[in-house]
Amino acid sequence: MATQGINFQNLSLKDALDLAVLIEEEARDRYLELAEQLETHHTPEAAVFFRKMVRVEEIHRSQLDKRRHELFGDMPMTVTRAMIFDIEAPEYDEARADMSVQAALQASMRSEKKAHDFFARALPEVRDEAVKALFSELRDEELEHQRWVQLELDRAPGEPNPAFDDSDEPVAL
Amino acid sequence: MTALATLPPAQFKSELKPIWCPGCGDYGVVQAIYRALSAIGRPPHEIAFISGIGCSSRIPGYTTAYGFNTVHGRALPIAQGLKLANPDLLVLVAGGDGDGFSIGGGHVPHAIRRNLDLTYIVMDNQVYGLTKGQLSPTSPKGLKTVTSAYGSLESPINPLLQVLSCGAGFVAQSTPADMPGLAAVIEEAIRYPGFSFVNVQSPCVTFGEEDQQVKAHKGRMQSLASKGHDPADYLKALELATHYGVELYTGVFYRNPNPPATYDAQVRERQAELQKTAVPRERILEMFQKG
Amino acid sequence: MRDIVIGMAGSGGDGIVSAGESLIAAAASLGFHAMMTKSFGPQIRGGESSCRVRLSTRELHSSGGALGVAIALNWEDFLKFGSELRCDDATVVIYEAKTGVLPEHIPLGNIKPREIMAVPLAELTKQSAGTEKAKNSLVLGLLSGWLGLSQDTLRKGIQRRYGKKGEEIVNGNLRAFEAGRQYADAHPSQTPLRLDAPAAATTKILTDGNDITAAAAIFAGCQFFGGYPITPSSEVMQFLGKEIWKYGGAVLQAEDEIAGIGTAVGASFGGKKAMTATSGPGMSLKTEILGLATIAELPLVVVNVQRGGPSTGLPTKPEQSDLYQACFSAHGDVLRPVLAPTSVADSFHCTVDAFNIAERYQTPVIILSDQEIAQRKETCDPIDTSKLVVEDRKRPTPEQLEKYTRFAASPDGISPISHPGMKGGAYLAAGIEHTESGAPSASGAVHARMNDKRFNKLLPLESWSGAVTVAGDAGADLALIAWGSIGGVALEVLDLAQAEGLRLKVLVPRLLYPVPKEVYRSFLRNVNSGLVVEQSHQGQLYKILRMELDLPKGLVSYCRSGANPIQPSEVLAKLKALSADARRSLS
Ligand SMILES: Cc1ncc(C[n+]2csc(CCOP(=O)(O)OP(=O)(O)O)c2C)c(N)n1
Ligand code: SF4
Ligand SMILES: [Mg+2]
Repeated sequence: MATQGINFQNLSLKDALDLAVLIEEEARDRYLELAEQLETHHTPEAAVFFRKMVRVEEIHRSQLDKRRHELFGDMPMTVTRAMIFDIEAPEYDEARADMSVQAALQASMRSEKKAHDFFARALPEVRDEAVKALFSELRDEELEHQRWVQLELDRAPGEPNPAFDDSDEPVAL
Repeated sequence: MTALATLPPAQFKSELKPIWCPGCGDYGVVQAIYRALSAIGRPPHEIAFISGIGCSSRIPGYTTAYGFNTVHGRALPIAQGLKLANPDLLVLVAGGDGDGFSIGGGHVPHAIRRNLDLTYIVMDNQVYGLTKGQLSPTSPKGLKTVTSAYGSLESPINPLLQVLSCGAGFVAQSTPADMPGLAAVIEEAIRYPGFSFVNVQSPCVTFGEEDQQVKAHKGRMQSLASKGHDPADYLKALELATHYGVELYTGVFYRNPNPPATYDAQVRERQAELQKTAVPRERILEMFQKG
Repeated sequence: MRDIVIGMAGSGGDGIVSAGESLIAAAASLGFHAMMTKSFGPQIRGGESSCRVRLSTRELHSSGGALGVAIALNWEDFLKFGSELRCDDATVVIYEAKTGVLPEHIPLGNIKPREIMAVPLAELTKQSAGTEKAKNSLVLGLLSGWLGLSQDTLRKGIQRRYGKKGEEIVNGNLRAFEAGRQYADAHPSQTPLRLDAPAAATTKILTDGNDITAAAAIFAGCQFFGGYPITPSSEVMQFLGKEIWKYGGAVLQAEDEIAGIGTAVGASFGGKKAMTATSGPGMSLKTEILGLATIAELPLVVVNVQRGGPSTGLPTKPEQSDLYQACFSAHGDVLRPVLAPTSVADSFHCTVDAFNIAERYQTPVIILSDQEIAQRKETCDPIDTSKLVVEDRKRPTPEQLEKYTRFAASPDGISPISHPGMKGGAYLAAGIEHTESGAPSASGAVHARMNDKRFNKLLPLESWSGAVTVAGDAGADLALIAWGSIGGVALEVLDLAQAEGLRLKVLVPRLLYPVPKEVYRSFLRNVNSGLVVEQSHQGQLYKILRMELDLPKGLVSYCRSGANPIQPSEVLAKLKALSADARRSLS
């Protein structure tokens, strides 16, 4: 989780909304990559879950995007994806061939926590009241997401006993 | 705030789905490359990405640039020929630690001394990934692998020190555990006018050691900037490079403050100068005429 | 005299080879047909050296047989060249009197030369030039006198050669030349040695196979050469290193042969015509990347100037033993065109053909030259380059670039090829098998389809009109097949056979692989017997032909390891015997 070149102290509401959109977009894209990786590597259950997260993050993104356009129309964006890294997106190395749904959910939980921490840490720096309100709202939403992931985790089948693992050896090329 | 990149990173992502093991560090490397290329802003068709053979060498296919996935260890020569054929191209070269420092090791010093404007990215996972976990030239001494059942007897190569001592003008190291840092050094390497080298400690989740994984890197890595290192200080860079394999330093070890003329630039000069003296191609045989 | 071979040997310091150079340069400018080969001892400096210069009023195909004139500055050095300076009973032997050897004791074994002259070479030189060093100019004077070659032309040559060294040196050499000339006039040879005037005194080109190959590469539009020095091919790189820049190209001396071919493949991927050149050991190293160029369908010209092998073998001697390697050294199913020039002039055409084939079919092409042709100096009539076609690879049209498919199927198997920098043309080139779009694939169906494509696109070569040179009596039932420099020997054999009224036909393939089967079949249709002559221990072409064709029973292999010149006379004798046998068995 990192940012580059963002000054939270004089962040405008437009930029803040744009950042929020990009954060969701980054998460959506990452889930898509992880889902594709797992689909290519015969790990369908976890892939299905990551696909679901793609849809969830896209819903968040489009809701925020709609708000942004209602308030600021087509005013050009001045923040870029290059300014954020892994805010709500799970890390690149979270996927594993044969990972369980449990493990996938745990990866997701870690990223929701990261996102929560991001807003929580940014908030004290923010001066603009509207931005403050937005960031508090988003921080709380991340808590909501964590509860949702926890529910999924509770419902998910338990981790299979790793001793049952009898996968084929990796293939040499 | 900075201007919008005209070419978003996604522009550089190809349709081909990577077949790296989920969790492989190389996924991070390719993302960092998308970002770096987006920041540079050259369109994909003006970029050529040359690699050898290995898991890491699959990387060109995952970009929309022109790619050439060549043979094991020979990416550097092929890239140099390409760059001379077309010096306007942005040429990236990539491969694994085995590809670059074992089978292709003989090409590295020469690519450096020629100093073509290329960026060479090695995904150093201290193991042979593609062939299933054999010892690599950067594997730590004593490592047990399928080809070193009782532990290796030889010491690893130190890629950073080797490349620095050969006179490379830009030498950096990073890890996918630090994505912004990784993208930044790749971008800087591309911008450096001359041969630039980035050693990426890119974990192999399938055959790599536990302390070589992203999680471990996060705990171990130290940025050179935070240590107050001045990249213009060559001797200090050498000293820092000796800690390869022990410390995980990230960032720029060395950037030549006065980059010398590149080979490709000199070739252009020579061509321009000598072109004035050319006889037409059709009359080339006249120089052998007698009487 | 219409044709004469002069052989000379001495120690390197005698400059006997430079005398040969002056002689052939003068002959070329006088309009003679001429050929010169050089041979050296193993020392880099201070060894023994020799040359053979053949002068003729007619077109030449080989450096000839036994010497007409032998010049030995000392016998020890002369004898080291054994078969390369073969004498017989028609030879006029001239040797340094200072050796103290009596004419009746010259060490030529059983051979009884036609005439023997002991000349005080060193002494005459010392007297005229003030130093023994100008011995080579004295030898030129002698030859000018005995052969009746224009003094003016030879003098001009001496002035040009030594001009840079100053007047004293020029004059010393001119005095030595004069002394030689006078000696020859005062001691005319019993044997008639005077050369007839050349039929048509046209200006000639004088060069060797390596230089003309490099010049041809420039003519063909080559813009990149990557290579690593190796005898006897280095001159190709050296020539291009001087010239190619003028045409917007570049030469890179690589760290090894792998990098040499690698850089060339890279340049070809970059859209430029590219070449590398090497000899046996380097060729072995290039094998893997040759395969890469085949599967990535990249045009590339690779010159292998053959020398004796295996391994370091005989670095300075010709052999034709790399044919199997050129055709077959590859893992995987590979069809790679192999061309062999038959003379210095043909090296020009062969190189242009090689670039055209490489570009047209997007394939690496091997030019199998050999040390003899590559380093032999030869006169050629000027080549009218305006008659030659230079082809470029098929590049995609703007429409094709809108949805570009690098390896798109097409009736002729040739797909338009883009290169980095071309908008819309980006693709992944690879050594791994790939689909039409360039995506890696391990599918058997894709692999089979792509192998078909890579093989079928080369089929037209089998009926290429430039694939062979055929000469002689089309109705003859006696045939001679030879390639490369030995192809020239075969054409000389034909001359000899015709002079004796023996009906013979000759086929010299320039395209060694793929075998132009139909061309061979029609050539062999009425053949009963004949020879496939090669300079190798195995007779590699003969075996390849047997693999690909049903050969007449009477067509047999005649081969010998490298560095043992194959003489036109011995081939003729063999052919006569074969023909007599065949006749006997028929009757
Ligand atoms: C000439 C040759 N020898 C051996 C191989 C087999 N091979 C393919 S990749 C590789 C090593 C891969 O290790 P590395 O270069 O570190 O890349 P990684 O897979 O770890 O990214 C080997 C030995 C080959 N392809 N070609
Ligand atoms: S084997 Fe290792 S290096 Fe290769 S793709 Fe898998 S994780 Fe990556
Ligand atoms: Mg490796």
